Amino acid sequence: MKELQPKQINLLTVSSSLGDLWEQFQSGDRDAFSKIYRNHIDYLYHFGMHFCLDSERVKDCIQDLFKDLWLDREHLTQTVQNLRYYLISSLRRRLLRSLQKDRRHPSDLLSDSFDFQLILSHESALINDEIYNEKKLLLQQGIASLTRREREVIYLRFYQDLSYSEIAALMAMKVDSIYNLVSKAISLLRTSIVLSFFFLFL
Amino acid sequence: MDKKNYEFYTASDFAKDEDFQQWILCPDLKKTSFWEKWMHQHPENQAAITEAISLVHSVQFRSYNLTNSEKDRIWDNIWDKMNSDEPEVNPVFIAPVRGWKWKNWWKYAAAVIVGFVAVFSIWKSADKTTPSKSITFSDHTDQGEMKKLLLPDSSQITLNANTEFVFSQSGNVREVWMKGEGYFHVKHTKDNKEFIVHTYDNLSVKVLGTRFNVNTFGDKISVVLEHGSIQLSISDSTNHETQLYLKAGEMLTYNKATGDYTKRKVEAERFVSWTSGRLILDHYTLNDARAFMQNVFGKEMIIQDSTLLKSSISGSMPIIYKSDTMLLQFGKAFQLHFQKHGDEIWIEK
Repeated sequence: MKELQPKQINLLTVSSSLGDLWEQFQSGDRDAFSKIYRNHIDYLYHFGMHFCLDSERVKDCIQDLFKDLWLDREHLTQTVQNLRYYLISSLRRRLLRSLQKDRRHPSDLLSDSFDFQLILSHESALINDEIYNEKKLLLQQGIASLTRREREVIYLRFYQDLSYSEIAALMAMKVDSIYNLVSKAISLLRTSIVLSFFFLFL
Repeated sequence: MDKKNYEFYTASDFAKDEDFQQWILCPDLKKTSFWEKWMHQHPENQAAITEAISLVHSVQFRSYNLTNSEKDRIWDNIWDKMNSDEPEVNPVFIAPVRGWKWKNWWKYAAAVIVGFVAVFSIWKSADKTTPSKSITFSDHTDQGEMKKLLLPDSSQITLNANTEFVFSQSGNVREVWMKGEGYFHVKHTKDNKEFIVHTYDNLSVKVLGTRFNVNTFGDKISVVLEHGSIQLSISDSTNHETQLYLKAGEMLTYNKATGDYTKRKVEAERFVSWTSGRLILDHYTLNDARAFMQNVFGKEMIIQDSTLLKSSISGSMPIIYKSDTMLLQFGKAFQLHFQKHGDEIWIEK
């Protein structure tokens, strides 16, 4: 039973520190607000850039998001389960609204030509460039069969670390569909990786 | 963790499993101990796990990064956007552009501005005798004097005693040269005119619209920001410029001799209270009082017992611009006796 103790302590501190930070922020503590900003700015910017590739627009929406967060802080929910999810879903709505207002972007652009570009990690020293490129090509062909929305799901899961149910809520999809999509992506990856192992031993 | 039949999982099954992914993406003590224990019990699944790990790791996305200064700027803009008492902020965005396409609107605007600048510079070079609307004036305060100035752009400057001040406005820039202490309430202009405060050392402050205090008395310069955000440039002996930003409630202290500087959080009110005639004392030392008497009245305190320098008081007192009265107040607060000898003040316990 002894070994359970550190885990519990770990859990407790993790959850209470987010709670504390949020509570301090809601009571008007600027340091807490600044900490929230520092903790999330990289992830928000990364999401925004994958979402629309328009750096100025992303920065603008992030500014508005934090401005409103501060001004409305007293009226926000007091229990936030996952701040990352909360902030990303807000930023996503703002980006969509901003893009819809902007006549430069025909609405069909939203469906396709945006990013969420998957790339292969180049970590394995065993794989030489030729095989890496082979893998990359295979993966790209596979990825091309995914829609932008589907790529966004994969991104939210594997980069932003949102749970299946959070992604489902964010994208207005069923949890089952999220699961199926993740399966599809993993299969794609597996085909390309396994094939390259095959090349390796030829 | 849910009860799942992990022993029958293939590499893909693991890679698709949310709990497994979670461990790879965001490991913590609990997850790691679960999976390590599980692998220990099921060595036959080792290969599948290894492959699953590399599968999850192989999902990578192109990276987009902000530099630290970009992050600082976004942070500053968040506060700027909240400054509702200065509605002229970002007037470009307020201007009605409905029915126009943004990108094109900018092109037209740029063309107009380029045209205007060209005409303007031709006109200006043709007629050098009448400088275009440029304004220059200077002012100063004497010992024991405080002055409020209203600039043509309706910015307000409060000068503390013994301060020299030059203001110049020309073209697209408002500039001040100052020696002493001044509190600035700079108005944001519709055309985003920069306001620059130069000190006579290698430090200057650049703002659009905000409230801050600059003090160059003694061997240090301190800049305290009450509201908004400001940009500071510090140049070193090789004329290399360093830019940094100050946020509300931060103070920058610059050492005139060495060029070193530090930034820290302060209660801005303490540093600007002099403008409303109060001295807020927070661990105010006798040494601080000595600097005050020197800066404001040009009186030198001679303190022979150096242990006294560190004695400090807290509270507040009115600032009376009469050296005798101030001395009396300090004397009571520090419980010391002051002896006047001309411009010198001798201190005894």
